[in-house]
Amino acid sequence: MELLIAITIGTLFAISIYQILQRNVIRSAIGIILLGSAINLFLLSAGSVDGLVPAYTTLTGAQADALPQALVLTAVVISMGGLALILGMLYIIANRYQTSDLDEISNLRN
Amino acid sequence: MQIALVKDFMVFIVAISLLWLGALASWLLRHHLPADTRRGWILGLFPLSSFGIVLWQTLMLGETAVIHRTTWISTLNLDAVLQFDALSALFALLVTGIGTLIIIYAGYYFLNDDSAGRFFAYLFLFMGMMLGLVLAGDVITLFIFWEGTSITSFLLVAYKYKYESARAGAFKALFITAGGGIALLVGLLFLSSIAGSTDFATIMASGDLIRGSNLYLVTLILVALGAFTKSAQAPFHIWLPNAMSAPTPASAYLHSATMVKAGIYLLARFNPALGETEAWFWLLSLVGLATMLIGAYLGTKQKDLKALLAYSTISQLGILMMLIGQDTEIAFKALVIGVVAHAFYKSALFMGAGIIDIETGTRDIYRLGALRQSMPLGFAIIGISALSLAGLPPLFGFLAKETLLATAVHPSLPEFVSWLFTAAIIVAAAFKLVQAGMILFEVFLGNRKDETIQHRPLPKLVFLAPALPALMSLGLGILPEPQGLAEFFGAAAAVSFGDKVKVSFALWTGLNIPFALSVGAIGLGTVLFIQRKRLIAWQNSLLSWSFNGAFDQLIWGIDRASTLSTKVQSGKLRFYLSVMIVAMLGLVTISVGGFNLSQLATLEDLSLQENPVRLISLLITLLAAGATVLIKRDFFAILALGTAGLGVAIYMAVEPAPDVALVQIVVDILATLILILALTQLPQLQKSAAERLNGRFHLPSFIVAAGSGLLVTLITFTALTSRPRTSLVTPFYSDNAKALTGASDIVGAIIVDFRALDTLIEIAVFSLAGLGLYTLMRFAANKHQDHPPQAYINPRVQQFGIAGPQTSVYLRSMAKILLPIAFLVASVHMLYGHDQPGDGFTAGVIMSLAVGFTYLIFGFDEARQRLTWLQPFSLIALGILLVVFNGTMGYLLNGQFLSPIDYGGLLSITTLPAGVKLSSGFLFEVAIGLAVLGSASLMLDSLARPSALVIQPVTESESVPERGATAVSFFAKVFQRR
Repeated sequence: MELLIAITIGTLFAISIYQILQRNVIRSAIGIILLGSAINLFLLSAGSVDGLVPAYTTLTGAQADALPQALVLTAVVISMGGLALILGMLYIIANRYQTSDLDEISNLRN
Repeated sequence: MQIALVKDFMVFIVAISLLWLGALASWLLRHHLPADTRRGWILGLFPLSSFGIVLWQTLMLGETAVIHRTTWISTLNLDAVLQFDALSALFALLVTGIGTLIIIYAGYYFLNDDSAGRFFAYLFLFMGMMLGLVLAGDVITLFIFWEGTSITSFLLVAYKYKYESARAGAFKALFITAGGGIALLVGLLFLSSIAGSTDFATIMASGDLIRGSNLYLVTLILVALGAFTKSAQAPFHIWLPNAMSAPTPASAYLHSATMVKAGIYLLARFNPALGETEAWFWLLSLVGLATMLIGAYLGTKQKDLKALLAYSTISQLGILMMLIGQDTEIAFKALVIGVVAHAFYKSALFMGAGIIDIETGTRDIYRLGALRQSMPLGFAIIGISALSLAGLPPLFGFLAKETLLATAVHPSLPEFVSWLFTAAIIVAAAFKLVQAGMILFEVFLGNRKDETIQHRPLPKLVFLAPALPALMSLGLGILPEPQGLAEFFGAAAAVSFGDKVKVSFALWTGLNIPFALSVGAIGLGTVLFIQRKRLIAWQNSLLSWSFNGAFDQLIWGIDRASTLSTKVQSGKLRFYLSVMIVAMLGLVTISVGGFNLSQLATLEDLSLQENPVRLISLLITLLAAGATVLIKRDFFAILALGTAGLGVAIYMAVEPAPDVALVQIVVDILATLILILALTQLPQLQKSAAERLNGRFHLPSFIVAAGSGLLVTLITFTALTSRPRTSLVTPFYSDNAKALTGASDIVGAIIVDFRALDTLIEIAVFSLAGLGLYTLMRFAANKHQDHPPQAYINPRVQQFGIAGPQTSVYLRSMAKILLPIAFLVASVHMLYGHDQPGDGFTAGVIMSLAVGFTYLIFGFDEARQRLTWLQPFSLIALGILLVVFNGTMGYLLNGQFLSPIDYGGLLSITTLPAGVKLSSGFLFEVAIGLAVLGSASLMLDSLARPSALVIQPVTESESVPERGATAVSFFAKVFQRR
């Protein structure tokens, strides 16, 4: 399973980097969200035990590792806040320069 | 050298602070101090008291150095040290003594100029830095003050910043001295690393260690570079003449008596540690020799009185540098005498030049003349000082020159070097005689050359300041040998030399070689002076390659190089990103070193016996993520993105991590919603133009992406196969969750109890994201009102209310019902979060989704009318205050911030429904829910219609009376809703 997870995370990472490097700002935003997913998946898989039941004291059996779950839960929410801010900035840039093409925006430096 | 630790070393800190107090006083009272002669006398009290302290301490100073140590950074073993010995005392007396005279003099120089408070402040700042520099007892303290003098000197030179020449001069001075400062810093760090301490005492004691080190030569060159730049040694001397654009009091003080001597002081100080080697001798002697000759030669060409003095200063600095290079007793005797003699005559000359400038309005020696009649006092003072400069008896300068000539004939030097030095010194001395003669004959004697020059005499007391050093030049020359002073000079020279130095002030030492050489120099000088017209004509006829030209070329080259570097900068953000990612990949690969792929061979679990749902969820995620690249329409790509997020959520649910999965689902939906909102706000044309870019294959991006993907795969695989299989922390949480927090959901217990502070910060961050977005969008909307955002309205597509016509009544009814249901669900999540999947985050996002749905169905305007109770700022404040209250209660009841409390049990409420606990955890969940709802609805609000954030201009009738009057009204405006 580790290999499959690793390949999934790596592929997800590659897709998100490719999207971030696209010229269309909307695609960059998509890439940022995907990047967050890849990282969250990684964190979640990094728990020390592979549980069979959720981490509840009322349940018996091999419990999943609760610590990375708590961390990922936090990360999911925070990345949402970050995303909103980034979107706001992308929106302002696209609106200010009247283009959603990152290359055109960069060329406005002169 | 013995070291005495004196507790009342505070006096030196007081001495420095007094000067800075002077800076403070002259700045704060700049409008209150009288702009007449009294100003200098009042402000002069500060350096005078400082001088008094230094003098008192000097008189008490014994054989041993006084050292004061304050622990500074104990982990780095760094102390801030002040050290007071004879060498420090000599310089400190010059700094404070001449400083006092300069302040009094500046009072006359800036007569009736009420804007000069700034000048006094700068000058005092510099004075404090300079005093600190000579009192420093470790390399770090030394360096801080050293840089301080560079910066304050920059301020002084640029004082008349409206003039191009002042700005250029200040830039050049700072460029060169600060550049040398960097070299010095590195050199000093090498020095202390070799010696094992930043302390002077340790460094001086480990001279043999330093000289034997591999780094010796590098260290020597770096330290010397610092000294050469500061003390205007060739080829760095070029900043000094340009620095003459400073007001004359600054020139007299910084550029003759004190700052330029800092380099001399530095090398004299470090002679025991770095000196006594061949490299030291050749480096310092040759540079000093060149500087001496260049200064002497160029000085005679000058027309400006101050420039002439500047070049003669350069020449003298070269002499002093040369002396330090020689490891003989007599050289160090010559050094201290030279330093003091020069400080006396040069400060008097500069002050005199300033008086001439103010009284006549010019410094051009070929326009002045016959000033002996109108300025008899000035004639006397400048006359004495100029003769001292020329090295004529019976003045102190003669002694300095005699001693200097004696060093050149010292038998310990190699013969040809000795010969060369002697010749050079005679030539330089002759040129200096010419310079002194020019000052006297052109300025004071002869006839008036320019009848247009008016004479506006200053009060006679102005001559007091230059008269004192001039009299010292005379007095030290002719008075019977003062034994105590000679011993003090000897002690100062001994600190530098490292052994006893005998100093005597006897002018007449018999008919010896130095005297003969002296006569030769005077003779040659007289001949040159008589023929000076020819000499100057000859100098001017020579090809004029100058160091200044080379400096300008250098600066021009740097400018060109910087333009070149902008060519490398493509300005394309994507290019920068790629470079960063590739660099990061490289760094990670290097630092990781290798990947543990040994597990790859023994993998048993590739047999897909895993939970098939897991595999399917990963597949969905990957396919959907891939689809976001391939789909050309942005809208559908965003939907694919949402699908990918749901795939991740399924994986999380199977993990099994139900809490995370729940949050992931709701957050994924909210993110998709916000993304679509942002998309709809972009103008149609712009969007379709951008969409045409999609689907274009870009090979460099692909390579970067594929490389990073591969690397992440390897890292992940290595990390997952070699992770520890037992957790140190989790068992504690699992065992104690129920007992300590009353929650059976361990993840929830971690979030609201075990790591509650994290969560508090987290919701603060999330709230700030909402507030930040709102502020950002509002700012942009108001700043660029010329581009009002145009919402996208596609006539062919039936849009929901947010951008299109009204939606059907069925949808509207559904939305009306959905809102309360969502709040109900959220309440359940908050109430039972401690035992069931779900928590405050989920609850908050669910409520936000319902709000978003309301926006979607009813449109922005109507939704705002319907949801008047939705006050994001109040919700955020309420949420965060509730957590803080919760934590404070924990502190009050259990003695620990955010510790769990069972409020229900405390208040003995027994009628709660089953499974509901009125605990601090519950309050925390509610707080999180409120803050998340507030922040998320703020995000929706800002992105749904940015144009609504434009503040409508307030008309006259509407304007509030206290408009702009208070900070409160400002914030009220900022947070006004619409």
